[in-house]
Amino acid sequence: MHKAIIIDDERLARNELKKLLLEFPQIEVVDEAANAAEGIEKIDLLNPDLIFLDIQMPGKTGFDMLQDLDKAPHVIFTTAYDEYALKAFEVNALDYLMKPIEPKRLADALQKLQQAEEKELGQSGMNRGLLTEADQVFVKDGERCWFVKLSEVRLFESVGNYAKVFFGTNKPLILKSLNALEERLDEKTFFRANRKHIVNMRMIEKIEPYFNGGLLLDLQGGEKIEVSRRQAVKFKEMMSL
Amino acid sequence: MCQLGGWGAWFATNAFFYFSLSDPDKEKEPLRYSGLLLFVIVLGIFFSHMMRLCIKEYKLLKMPIQRQIFYFLLLTAIFSVLYSSVLVSLTTLLDIHLKEDNIPLLNKLIGNAITIFILFLIWNLIYYIYHYVERNRKQELDTLKLESTVKELELKTIKSHINPHFIFNALNSIRALVDENPARARTAITELSNILRSSMQAEKLETVPLEKELGIVKDYLALEKMRFEERLNIEMHIDEDTLSQPVPPMMLQTLVENAIKHGISKKINGGVVRIVSDFVGDHHVLLVQNTGQLNGVVNSDGFGIKSTQDRLNLLYQGKAKFDIKNLNSDIVESKVTMPVHPVLVIK
Repeated sequence: MHKAIIIDDERLARNELKKLLLEFPQIEVVDEAANAAEGIEKIDLLNPDLIFLDIQMPGKTGFDMLQDLDKAPHVIFTTAYDEYALKAFEVNALDYLMKPIEPKRLADALQKLQQAEEKELGQSGMNRGLLTEADQVFVKDGERCWFVKLSEVRLFESVGNYAKVFFGTNKPLILKSLNALEERLDEKTFFRANRKHIVNMRMIEKIEPYFNGGLLLDLQGGEKIEVSRRQAVKFKEMMSL
Repeated sequence: MCQLGGWGAWFATNAFFYFSLSDPDKEKEPLRYSGLLLFVIVLGIFFSHMMRLCIKEYKLLKMPIQRQIFYFLLLTAIFSVLYSSVLVSLTTLLDIHLKEDNIPLLNKLIGNAITIFILFLIWNLIYYIYHYVERNRKQELDTLKLESTVKELELKTIKSHINPHFIFNALNSIRALVDENPARARTAITELSNILRSSMQAEKLETVPLEKELGIVKDYLALEKMRFEERLNIEMHIDEDTLSQPVPPMMLQTLVENAIKHGISKKINGGVVRIVSDFVGDHHVLLVQNTGQLNGVVNSDGFGIKSTQDRLNLLYQGKAKFDIKNLNSDIVESKVTMPVHPVLVIK
């Protein structure tokens, strides 16, 4: 059984989706929300496995709402017609449904969700409070957006109040400070190398000694990150178990 | 045709000068002279025709101007030398010449070449100017045609523009209503059909009576009311006398659609859309007011604003006005001012 929340500003649209979901007993709609603020509140409260999210809503859009969440639940977007949003989806193959929703497409999307969850089951961390590698974050940069698994992120770099997220060939900005991120990230995987960087330990290719008792880390993407002397002590401790 | 005319004129002038001006002592040989001249002309026609083929073949007219001039001179020179050699050799071979004519061959060749060079040059110049003028005229015509096509296309796309987002959302609401309120679902389908139909018909019409346009707007608002429910409030203040005024089809509709898209749909608690139609002085004024705020610079690239301006310009040639502004801190107003009963040219 999956707990789901429907977030859409139109009552009729929510009703229609609820009606469609009656055909899928594995999905239980636990609540609904009419805008982003309500949505965030209910997601924090009910911790759903899945949200159905409309993109165009009054106040904040669906994208804005996702950016405000620490970690994104599984999301199926619902939209009537929105060229910009569709462009974003095309690039990143997020799942989305076009209103009026075709029952067959809904079934496919739920099927996909099932597969994604089975895959996760093996690697899921126990600690609910911390973000684990299996968790995904929603990242939007201009018109493009991604759901990024933390295990795919090799580096966070501080840029003022923002953090640059390095994954694949992309490095978009998210509105989160490095300190806030550090608090939420699992320190077994994500190591604070210095004032400006948090690195994914599993993405380190080479470790070299550096000036002043520090270390220099070569990451898989080619970035070279310096570990400050103080952190280097901690790093060595962690590596030697 | 031109060639025959040109060479005919050359023939006539030469003949005239020969008979009227030549030395009276000399024996006149009218028949022989005419024959020779005719021969000269037939050859001339042949060569100038060849020259024309050359110009066409190498697309001289499409080259840059410096090269054109160069090639024209070259071509003229080559052809005049060719012509005079053929002429002289043929006349010598066939022994068609005047009795007193005993000039050395080389002199004859050069003399002929020079005369014919000038002739060909004039001929080419006329040919060139003719084509230049013709091409210019054609270009002008093409530009005009293109302009009118663009204008027509623009009008068409402007008119037929109904936001697909709206259509699909409306369809989605209707599907939900089928179970919840079948009677409302039925009227909703009628309303949607009306809108789709008039957006298609709008392509054919320059203007429609306001009454008809208002009918569409009411259907549209009814559908949006179904979506937004209590978030959308509608007010209409229509002077009945304005109902017969001609207005561009789907224009008020576009303004109302924008009022909802940029105003109501952005507000969590919704707001009001107010439509006013009235006479002010000798103008017919349409107002659409909505809850919301224009933030910062008005995006004049936005389809609604730009297209409304363009349509009014196209239809009323600058006699109609459109503007959009914040009326106060909470209301945006778009305003169309049109001349009363304008005389419109219907194509």
